[in-house]
Amino acid sequence: MSVRPPTLREKRRYLLARIEPCGMPVDGKDLYYAIHESVTTLWGDVVTAAMQPAVISIEDGHAILRCRRGTERECAIALSTLFTCRDCQIVLRVIATSGTIESLRDRIKSMAHHLPKSTGDIPAETEECTFDSRAFQIVQCDGHKVDVIEKGFKNTHRLFLTTEDLEEK
Amino acid sequence: MKITDACVYPYPAGDSSIRRLALEAHALGYDSIIAAETPACEINDVAILSGMILTDISAKDVINRIKQNKESGVIVSVQARDNGFNRAVGGMNGIHILRGVHAVEKYAFDHVTAKIVADNGTAIDLDLSPLISGRGHTRQKAIHRYLDLMTLYRRYKFPLTISSSARSVLDMRTVREVSGLCSIIGMDTEDVEQALAGVARITAPKETAVKVIS
Repeated sequence: MSVRPPTLREKRRYLLARIEPCGMPVDGKDLYYAIHESVTTLWGDVVTAAMQPAVISIEDGHAILRCRRGTERECAIALSTLFTCRDCQIVLRVIATSGTIESLRDRIKSMAHHLPKSTGDIPAETEECTFDSRAFQIVQCDGHKVDVIEKGFKNTHRLFLTTEDLEEK
Repeated sequence: MKITDACVYPYPAGDSSIRRLALEAHALGYDSIIAAETPACEINDVAILSGMILTDISAKDVINRIKQNKESGVIVSVQARDNGFNRAVGGMNGIHILRGVHAVEKYAFDHVTAKIVADNGTAIDLDLSPLISGRGHTRQKAIHRYLDLMTLYRRYKFPLTISSSARSVLDMRTVREVSGLCSIIGMDTEDVEQALAGVARITAPKETAVKVIS
């Protein structure tokens, strides 16, 4: 099958979305199914078919998504209703929309320069902390933001705290 | 204009501390948040307003609770119930917000209640959580209730507030996302702006009905 000339190709737009919480490993296929479910439940099959949402890649905690030109707004609204991906609670924060993937990759690179380094305020060796008189393990530290999980095998629920919330051991 | 999320639940009701919620709210474009059962303060340029949510109590108990918390500066929200309760609570002084209109029966919030809350200056809260996390019938019912509410809003112009009911930073949405979600229920940008500034509107000191000029 020959490739269509540019004037006959369907126009596409690409969305850059940050995946939160930071450091959460997300599989592209799982994310595609989660997005597809969000779009279909909100807008129905007809709009989903016209939108053709797809996951292009996941890079440095960001997802590059694709949709048809003219459906970016509907796609972004549907993405704001996404709250889980394969039993993990996640959220996609749409940062930018572009006509090329390259410009979004440049955007990711420029943001990487401005982002505060991980484990900025907490020494790398201090991976344990206490909060509310309970012992927690730090799983992610980004500037003042600290994500912790309670120590032990029973409770694996993530808590979202700040460096000021943590008590000295 | 202060952009406010009208209800968040910090730790221990949720999984995020109030400081983290404030940090996130600032990043998402909010100026203030109402936090349930949390003392008022200011963190990272975000004003934390103390909120009290009254659920499953009679109108008489609501009056008693208002009397107890008079002059405390707490934003009092009451969970909507049947039509009679909503009319009674909507006309009370000291009630700031009527919440959970999406979850009540179809005629629990009618044109009479809308007129009462408009006259009293009580805000009606638009909880976005059923639009975000609801699926199927739950979300359809919420959208239907909100569309009906917007019809009454355009007629009576009662104050609106918007809340995420976030128990986690992951439940919060940016102001732009809120605007997008509200467009589903027929709100334009101006309506969303007014609703986000709704808390500032209801907490502002009321102007006297008659202005003495001499």
